[in-house]
Amino acid sequence: MTIHTLEGKIPLVMNVLITSASIPVVMDIAIELSSIHKLILTDTKDVSSSIKFIRSAIGHDSDTNDLVKGMDVIIHSGLVNNSDNESSQLDYHMRCTYNLLWAAWEEKVPRVVYLSSLTQMDKYEENLAVTERWRPLPRTDTQSLCYHLGEYVCREFAREDKLEIVCLRLGDIVNNGVNHESSSSVYIDDVVTAIDKALSYDASGWDIFHIQSDVPNARYLTGQPWQGGDELPVNLGYTPRPRTKA
Amino acid sequence: MNVLILGANGMLGPHVVKALESAHNLRLTDINDLDTTHEYIKIDVSNLEQVVEVAKGMDAIINLSVLRHDRKLAFDVSARGCYNMMRAAVEHNISRIVNTGPHFTITGRTYEAYDHLIGPDVPPHPGTYLYAHTKSLGQEICRVFTENYGIHVMSLLFYMFMDAETHRFYPEAPVTETGKDFTPYTVSWRDAALSFSCALDIDLEDLPSKCEAFFVFPDLPHQKFTNEKIKRILGWKPQDRLEQFWRK
Repeated sequence: MTIHTLEGKIPLVMNVLITSASIPVVMDIAIELSSIHKLILTDTKDVSSSIKFIRSAIGHDSDTNDLVKGMDVIIHSGLVNNSDNESSQLDYHMRCTYNLLWAAWEEKVPRVVYLSSLTQMDKYEENLAVTERWRPLPRTDTQSLCYHLGEYVCREFAREDKLEIVCLRLGDIVNNGVNHESSSSVYIDDVVTAIDKALSYDASGWDIFHIQSDVPNARYLTGQPWQGGDELPVNLGYTPRPRTKA
Repeated sequence: MNVLILGANGMLGPHVVKALESAHNLRLTDINDLDTTHEYIKIDVSNLEQVVEVAKGMDAIINLSVLRHDRKLAFDVSARGCYNMMRAAVEHNISRIVNTGPHFTITGRTYEAYDHLIGPDVPPHPGTYLYAHTKSLGQEICRVFTENYGIHVMSLLFYMFMDAETHRFYPEAPVTETGKDFTPYTVSWRDAALSFSCALDIDLEDLPSKCEAFFVFPDLPHQKFTNEKIKRILGWKPQDRLEQFWRK
């Protein structure tokens, strides 16, 4: 099996597909990234945007292959669409994720960035130094399960070297008055910085990174390079923008 | 015990019913019609409301439902079906769940192709093969529920089945030759069914955790997999060693 890496051929402007464009925060991320990269947005529902949009059911058919063909990276969000019922949400985040990754593998898309959440780790006590090496502790609410099961699907594609997958577990996103700052917050500009780094850093095949902002009493450690055995360290190169007041 | 069986009209269903019917009250369900003397309700396991409704008044749920090859239905039945079952268990305070699947729900090719004495207590490597992947997602959903609620899930994992008398996997299958070896993870239908009795009989407090997986096959000489756990914890005693297939 071949990994189609970006190594040595990283284009300055990348062709990027972003899923779940109907979710406001995903659109906000897309708008920021559109100033850097050539984007295509997709969703199972119609979305009005100045960025190119292709509606897709992300089914098991050639339409999904056509959707991903020619992409350098796919950014796949684990956020649930609250207008769907729980069965549809679970179906999308398991089956459609599988379909999307399968098509990406067939069309030789080099990399997938999966947007998960640090809520997967928030059952640990706050005084613990929780990092990417710790076991996720999902809850049974649909959003938590969808993040977890989306990661599960991604991990198996990476395990078989079908795709290079970067999993970003994002803190509680603060943007345009959505969510107040907490010890788990990540501001939208830091999210965009982390995603932009994830598009082109030297990935190992299956990497997880915890992403949060420089907020007082920040709960999660972030920006640490990881090294296993005699391998070279894996480093996203993400550093949150300084915000903490002295 | 009042026992709900999901997917009762599949290949394993009739054997399980036969093994349990003298000791338990059975409520059978399936998406297909079923001719039975037991209570039968036709449901679609991928329908949350139907599964929650049919589980009312039950003490245990056995999930035999599976769909292997259709991309949409495999996720509907094998993955979301487990979610629906666990939601029903929470709704009705059902603390005993017996789930089923193939061994590669946990030990996929990355184990089977390389190792021996493979047991069920290892991190799951289902890979992307649709059947393994969807059943593994279902099992993972069950596991997450056990970590958040007082529900116990026992996963009975199978691979190949054999009729010990006809030497066929299923009635229409060709007769398997004796003395030529066979899949080193094969169990007779009747022994497979007996494992469900064990899973209903065990005191839940005697399980090591709220989520346990068991490999179900008799003592075979290959040492490719190990059945030590189901014998030790559930007290399962298989009758058919299927010796005629692995001895010349």
